[in-house]
Amino acid sequence: MLVIWRKAGESIVLGDNIDVEVLEMRPHRVKLGIVAPESISISRKETKLTRAENVTAALSMDSGLIENLLSRLSSYRRHN
Amino acid sequence: MPRIPTKFFGEVDYMPESVFCFPDGLPGFEEEKEFLFLNVPESEPVLFLQSISMRNLCFVLVPILTLVPDFRIVLTPQESQVLELPGERAPIIGKDVLCGALVCADSKESLCANLMAPVVVNLWNRLGIQAIHPESGYSHRHPVAFAEHALAC
Repeated sequence: MLVIWRKAGESIVLGDNIDVEVLEMRPHRVKLGIVAPESISISRKETKLTRAENVTAALSMDSGLIENLLSRLSSYRRHN
Repeated sequence: MPRIPTKFFGEVDYMPESVFCFPDGLPGFEEEKEFLFLNVPESEPVLFLQSISMRNLCFVLVPILTLVPDFRIVLTPQESQVLELPGERAPIIGKDVLCGALVCADSKESLCANLMAPVVVNLWNRLGIQAIHPESGYSHRHPVAFAEHALAC
């Protein structure tokens, strides 16, 4: 991992045309300004992870699993 | 009464006023903004969040307090604003909001739930969001243990 110290108002450049500027620093977070071509998608990392998890959630639950789950639940209720 | 085809339960009639609206959709499905919670008594406590317009999109949810009884929900001012909740106090799960974790299958036998990004719905106006909070420290792959125990019995 490349590690670079920056102050508010300073930037780094990624490739030829992506500019990331530190706009403001607070005790627990920093505000970034990003200038990039429209074709570059920019997400918070946790949003990207959630997107992948949601797609897995939507695709992984099939009818067989639901039947299995419903029968597990009925046995869960009998024992609780 | 309008009727939609669902992923798991055939055709279902619903009341237009029981539709839940997610103004931003859910990450990965941003275009899907209208959902129904399907009423499936034998599935309790598990819930089904079915898209109105996409038959094959039905999320399985577990109420978060079933998994983590002391779960505390903290929303950002922006999230409270989308849900039209007063921002000055944390919403009460079960009274102000429904809070559920989306379930996915790790394998045929093991289910996990995303506690890092619960679905939060305002019960009074049926507005919903997915509240992504990595700083909460909760896992995005929390084991759904009650289903395992049931299998072991």
